[in-house]
Amino acid sequence: MNLTYETKRKLLGFTFLIPYLLGFLMFFAVPLGQTIYYSFQKIDIPEAGGMSFTFLGLQNYINLFATEVSTVDSNTQILRVLLDENTNVLINMPLITLLSLFLALLANRQFKGRAVVRMIFFLPIILGLEVVTEMLTISTGSEMVQSSGLFAEGLVARLLIHYTAIPSQYLYPIIDFVENIFSVIARSGVQTLVFLAALQSISPSMYEVAKIEGATAYETFWKVTIPSIMHIVMFVVIYTIIDLFLTSQIAEEVYNFGFVVHGSKIGVASALSVVYIFNVLLMLGLALLLFRKVVSSNG
Amino acid sequence: MANKRQKANIAAAIKQSGATPDVTTQGSMTQPNSAGVSIFVPNRGAVATPPPLNQPKKKVKLSNEQNIYMAKKKIGSFSISLVTIILILGLCFVILHPFLKLVPTVLSNPEDLGNPNIIWLPEEFSTMSFEMATYHVMKAGPMTIVSSISYALAIMAIQVFVSAMTGYTMARVKYKWVTPLLFVMVILSFLVPRQSLLVAQYVYFQHFDAFYIMRLWGAETNLIGNPWSLYMMAILGFGVNQSLMILIFSQFFKNIPKELEEAALIDGCGFYKTYFNIMVPNAIPAIVIVAILAFVWNYGDTYFTRYFDPDGQYLGTKLATVFANNDTQKRMVQDTATRLFGLSKASDLTFDAVKQAGVLIFLLPLLAVYLFAQRWLVENLESSGLVG
Repeated sequence: MNLTYETKRKLLGFTFLIPYLLGFLMFFAVPLGQTIYYSFQKIDIPEAGGMSFTFLGLQNYINLFATEVSTVDSNTQILRVLLDENTNVLINMPLITLLSLFLALLANRQFKGRAVVRMIFFLPIILGLEVVTEMLTISTGSEMVQSSGLFAEGLVARLLIHYTAIPSQYLYPIIDFVENIFSVIARSGVQTLVFLAALQSISPSMYEVAKIEGATAYETFWKVTIPSIMHIVMFVVIYTIIDLFLTSQIAEEVYNFGFVVHGSKIGVASALSVVYIFNVLLMLGLALLLFRKVVSSNG
Repeated sequence: MANKRQKANIAAAIKQSGATPDVTTQGSMTQPNSAGVSIFVPNRGAVATPPPLNQPKKKVKLSNEQNIYMAKKKIGSFSISLVTIILILGLCFVILHPFLKLVPTVLSNPEDLGNPNIIWLPEEFSTMSFEMATYHVMKAGPMTIVSSISYALAIMAIQVFVSAMTGYTMARVKYKWVTPLLFVMVILSFLVPRQSLLVAQYVYFQHFDAFYIMRLWGAETNLIGNPWSLYMMAILGFGVNQSLMILIFSQFFKNIPKELEEAALIDGCGFYKTYFNIMVPNAIPAIVIVAILAFVWNYGDTYFTRYFDPDGQYLGTKLATVFANNDTQKRMVQDTATRLFGLSKASDLTFDAVKQAGVLIFLLPLLAVYLFAQRWLVENLESSGLVG
């Protein structure tokens, strides 16, 4: 064999890639193609088994936006669900990013019992699992509703409502947020981990320099810490968006259309999937664009 | 201990280089103290120069101005640490609150539920909720837990193995156009939500026929309900969040110095030997992080297991299906509560109590693993390649 070192390396390295490439074909490229194909078809499942296809053109997409209703609540249209979920992502994404950065900054400080605090701060990695968050919610049935109103009924909230001049349309969303802070924290486990890793990888000499130059803590934070973790913020934003979409109601609808509402709705489910993919990509693009702007305007 | 030594090194370095401390230390150093670094800022008006860092403090008579400055600084740092402590305690409380709240619900007698007098401690201890949860979730007895854990462990091992290999080649072997294409592929498969491909993947497994090869010796097989469908996805790099794991590994391997590979080559290691004997031992931090995440994600995954192996004994899936928030499931749980466990009445609160007992059972192995592993998690964080 008269192969050069580089060629040999490339060939052997390729063997490491074979599983992934196969998987990409089998579990990604082919299903993606099929989903797109299904979305233009009316699919029937005859008694004999198998599937029969009739070409519909864009009818599935038109139905999706015009007539289809949510499988969870038949009073809401799919379009409504899409819009709601997008607002939800837009609101929660910055909250989660900021909160996880905040948690990481706290966990990065020097204090006694830091190990315990870090352990608790990483707990959301476990608590954020979809099963757990779903199961920890209290089902609100017809009988006694066990309110989780820890804050809304507390002293601070009452003081805010009755004795301050903050208009209620601003106040109530804030109280709501504080009330539901657990649901935000539960989604921020991995992000906190990533931010903490980023914070620890900032070279301490940067801080030494800032100290010697006479920078205040505030200046150090904005001139050293934030620029050093900017690329990680991007990653966290992308991860958060995807994570939020994965647990959103749209995902549930896709499943329900495809499996629970049995029979001919597979076409609609596929159309919804395609819309969903474009929606996520659009949102990511938007986030990237905004991010670029923020970064470039900061120099 | 290491910190002290390094501090001494830095101090020595500063001493040598005099006024311009040019500290170039390698590897991990003291923890950077990011948010509220208490910085000694010399009073700009005064002429006093700051004492050298490492010399024993001599008693210097401070001027009045300096005294005020020092007092202000002390008060400032004290209030900052006070605020920090309050914040940390508050956040810890918020994170732990659901757990604390579980205690009275889960441990009290199901007939006491809804009693407004019970806030933190149950009036009458009872393990009824746990018994009911065990009845619903663990049809196969303790074997359910064992089998879900061993499933998660197996998938974890496969995912770490495959992702590390893929990540290594992506990072260290330079193909002209395949490498960037690979990155695009991995990122794309991370971005496209897995639910959107669900229907097609389901149909694919139902009529499984790998590239029409299997048709050569017999018909296609139905892999739905067969755990091999799950293992296959992990082996081929498409398990739970596996694209992310591949990205973590490729970031990690990118940062390993090239000299390591060259040295291995000179010592006569081939490609595989270099990878398994040199690279894998060096990748322990990344492996630890990915393994912990993979275990947690797979143990908690209800998505793949529910759709591709619906009859399997996975604790998470069982929880999600038995305690789905709809009326039929509620009635079923309440029915068994009155029929088999002899409760006089069963309400939504009973359902919640059983559900939350189920979550606790589900979380116990996870928490045990977490307590055991979190030390590594933090220790290896810095060099894990998570941050590229």
